[in-house]
Amino acid sequence: MLILIAEDDELILRTIEHKLLKEGYQIILTRNGKDAIEKIKELNVDLVVTDIMMPFASGIEILAAIRSFQKELPVIVLSSLGQEEVVADAFDLGAADFMVKPFSPNELVLRIKRLTNK
Amino acid sequence: MLHRVTIHELVIAIVVVLILVLLLTITVLSYSFYKYRILYRRQAWVQTSEQKVMEAIVRGEDGASLDETFLMQLREPSFRNVFLGVLVASDRKFSGVARNEVNNLFKIYKMEDAAWQKLQQKKSYLIAGGILELAVMRVEDAIPDIISLLDHPKRQVYQEAQYAIVGFKGFDGLDFLNTLVVPLSDWQQLRLLRSVAKLPDAYEKWMKNWLISPNESVIIFTLRLIRKFQLLPFYNDVVNLLDHASVTVSVQAIRTLAALENVDTVYQLIAIFATQPHESQIEILRTLKKSRSPQSEPFLQEQLWYNPAISVKIAAAEALIALGQHSYLKNIAATEIVPLEIKQVIKHALQEKV
Repeated sequence: MLILIAEDDELILRTIEHKLLKEGYQIILTRNGKDAIEKIKELNVDLVVTDIMMPFASGIEILAAIRSFQKELPVIVLSSLGQEEVVADAFDLGAADFMVKPFSPNELVLRIKRLTNK
Repeated sequence: MLHRVTIHELVIAIVVVLILVLLLTITVLSYSFYKYRILYRRQAWVQTSEQKVMEAIVRGEDGASLDETFLMQLREPSFRNVFLGVLVASDRKFSGVARNEVNNLFKIYKMEDAAWQKLQQKKSYLIAGGILELAVMRVEDAIPDIISLLDHPKRQVYQEAQYAIVGFKGFDGLDFLNTLVVPLSDWQQLRLLRSVAKLPDAYEKWMKNWLISPNESVIIFTLRLIRKFQLLPFYNDVVNLLDHASVTVSVQAIRTLAALENVDTVYQLIAIFATQPHESQIEILRTLKKSRSPQSEPFLQEQLWYNPAISVKIAAAEALIALGQHSYLKNIAATEIVPLEIKQVIKHALQEKV
């Protein structure tokens, strides 16, 4: 099962990567929104975890791009405190779930398992 | 008598200038190289520290064992500072078990000592850094020392001490507001609000005092607390603040009433509208727009037609749109005898080109 993580914070990115590798997922890492959109178009991704604030394209733009060609792909949005309005936009675009930073990587793994039926 | 410069002297002067230029170039290059090395080393240290944090989080309890090589590296004071900074930053990124692991690293590598030492420094940014580190890592033994820094003459220090105490004690840590004379900035207020997760039983008595504080920023902060916790018992206290001498307070009071809205709110806001300053009037119209109460329709129409201020007319038209009065407004805009000014206001509100 292939999961794409879009996050510009190296520590968060590597931590999620290692947690998910331990659970047996395959991982694609992207550090900016533009890269993320290209990789999602190229590869057959099963789930996306994206931060909202990203260079070149935001998490919302990634979500909008995904919805233009993939209606069903589950997307988990990571947001910071005070981004409630953006989170509402994300749900309007069909985000499957969201987590507010600071977040628990263990909880994220559980939510991913739920969405991927693993 | 004029002294003639000989060829020999000229050559010496040129050589001296060239040597100076060469020395300057060497100095600039050495300094740049030195700065680059610091930057490069710092980057490497950040990566090493983040790797350590990541390992601790991923491996859980196994990751928290003492790494002797890493411990040796930590003897370098600059590296200790970088590691401490990464730990503090990580604490803001993770919660739950991961956050505990970060805290565990702080303990097993005895980073507490480094943070304590900063409290003894003279430079205010170092003291503030030490307070932040001890607070983020939840070193409760530091509370008495941090309380003593609430009266520090330097703003950076006493502000960090305020955040720290509220971080430790929650609402109870806000007692410094009773005597606060300097203003709390918006940023400070937001940081303090984030640290208050719940209210104690005696919150009402404290907050009623803050609502009559001579410090305007304390009143505004209290109004934000009321909004955050939806404290309906304060409704009448907030209504009383609508007539406050400060426009900023009355605008915040209107926002708070909107958050605590009940069946009387719209009528109360309409009743005081005429006596309010311009900023408060605009805020009232924004509140009516959000509340979408049909009872405000005649009032909004009146403001659109007769209020002399264009910004009030626009806000009233926007509120009418929120109430679903598009056709009413479009009809007015299409009527020939309606003054051009009102037509332009309506078209602006409907976001059409005039």
